[in-house]
Amino acid sequence: MRVPYDNHDTDKMTTSNNESSRKLTANVKAAGCAAKISSIELKQVLSSIPRTQCPELLTSLDNFEDAAVYKITEDIAIIETVDFFPPVVDDPFLFGRIAAVNALSDIYAMGGKPVIALNVLCFPTCDYPLSVVEEILKGGQAACAEAGVTVAGGHSIQGPEPVFGLSVTGIINPKSVLTNGGAKDGDVLLLTKPLGTGVMLLGLKGSALSDLEHKQLLDSLTLLNKRALEIAKKYNVNAATDITGFGLIGHTTEMALASGLAAYLYIDDLPFFPGAIALASQGFVPAGAYGNRKTFSSYVINLEDIDVALQDLLFDPQTSGGLMFSLQEEPAMRLLAELSAAGLTASIIGGFVKGKAGQIEVKK
Amino acid sequence: MSTDKKHDQTKTLDLRGLMCPEPVLRTKKILDQKPEGAVEVLVDSDINVMNLTRLANSLGLSLQSKQSDKGYVVVIESKRDSQESQESQKSKLSKESTITRTSRESETTNSKEQENHAGQTKKTSVVFIAKDTFGEGDREFSVNLLNVFLQTILQAGHRPQAILLANTGVRLMDPDSSIRKVLDDFKAEGVEVFACGLCVEFYGLKDKVKPEQITNMYAISEYLFSADKVISP
Repeated sequence: MRVPYDNHDTDKMTTSNNESSRKLTANVKAAGCAAKISSIELKQVLSSIPRTQCPELLTSLDNFEDAAVYKITEDIAIIETVDFFPPVVDDPFLFGRIAAVNALSDIYAMGGKPVIALNVLCFPTCDYPLSVVEEILKGGQAACAEAGVTVAGGHSIQGPEPVFGLSVTGIINPKSVLTNGGAKDGDVLLLTKPLGTGVMLLGLKGSALSDLEHKQLLDSLTLLNKRALEIAKKYNVNAATDITGFGLIGHTTEMALASGLAAYLYIDDLPFFPGAIALASQGFVPAGAYGNRKTFSSYVINLEDIDVALQDLLFDPQTSGGLMFSLQEEPAMRLLAELSAAGLTASIIGGFVKGKAGQIEVKK
Repeated sequence: MSTDKKHDQTKTLDLRGLMCPEPVLRTKKILDQKPEGAVEVLVDSDINVMNLTRLANSLGLSLQSKQSDKGYVVVIESKRDSQESQESQKSKLSKESTITRTSRESETTNSKEQENHAGQTKKTSVVFIAKDTFGEGDREFSVNLLNVFLQTILQAGHRPQAILLANTGVRLMDPDSSIRKVLDDFKAEGVEVFACGLCVEFYGLKDKVKPEQITNMYAISEYLFSADKVISP
């Protein structure tokens, strides 16, 4: 369920004392998952690092999984993930909450149940009062409490710019792990949550959102993927991921590559935040979207047929994005109905077919 | 002669060192005042240039950019001016430039104006329809009147954030309803059209309404409370 964030509105900080009126996002160059190192650079670096793989590790680094899964017994595996980023909003509580919701999402994206979390914090204590750290941690704690996750500790250091996130451990039956690589020919793709958080967060930073757009953005950023996963687990889901820093195209490409299939997306069925297309067309496009375009545009066969604003949104890095499930059409329609009935945004946005692995066709 | 005059009117904004989306916001602020002549913008990354290209395109303006030792120099002007200057033709007669604001000075303009910057209307409206007629009266006439109302606001260019249907209002979603088409037209224009799930169930329309257009009372009430204006015919 959604929890109202009204008590922690972004304007709140500016009304407190002078010291804390320094905006949290003031010096942040790339916010949220837009702060990710590009996939190309990452691959280049990782290629020179020796690989380690043990039999208990059920996930492969090659398949760009959301989290690592380590088998303990035949029935129990643990899922490990860590995710952190600089402030996306000025309200510290809200930032903490969004960062935690985003970090927890990787566990849900593997089909698991998060159980304990550790705080990861970097903070310039000379620039902001300690009450700001306190609020960030409270925000993270609130998200964990809502998810039923125990915050068991953490690590904090001084640094030039605030960074917060979580290292999360989840549990799962090894047989029900949802990876990128399980998609099947004929599957359709179902996406929860709207797309365009990178563009919308730039709009927020530029005070260019209406109150309703602002609210819809924050509702989505603070919504746990817990409920969506719980519902989806009742259906025959073949593969899952969450849409984050590499954008819709990046994560679809990864799933297609890992599954050895070609994908298609219906451009008109993509659930963009209201206002996102207008903002993108006016140049509210984060650097990460250009990075993703560079990395992934070669996988898209008919990109130039669509509007530049829509292209930008396809590559837009998502913070605390939705889950994307790959499953056959018939259960997908029932899943869509059940998610909608639960008040969650859900859309069928495309699917997989046999073809060149990783290739994406954007259909009108 | 005219080209010299034009050159004098070129406004230069030094936006180096600013982080996204500031360069776009500040450039837009100047462009929105429809300055005579060209606007020259200095920025320090190609990301800024790409975003300014999108901004210029959205305003129907032409943009040229080149990299220099100072960073990127971006020149934005009307397509006609750009053509004229390229052909070294006489540019249109222009009044003395009244806008000489630099980027730093432009900061002082009021914040309300800045909020309007994305070109989106700041006021949001939702249309809330809780019955399948426009007022009370002869039934067939009242249904037609509702159809006329929706057609009229569609054609007038009003694009509410959402159209919310409750109680007998959900009957408008029935494919057999004469009003369904205009609702689909709104949807095609990007307006969200949602029907109350309880009502859809109660009136037995569950098979006739797409699941993604069904919502709950929580979402409906959130829409109503967040909107600046609720229109209920």
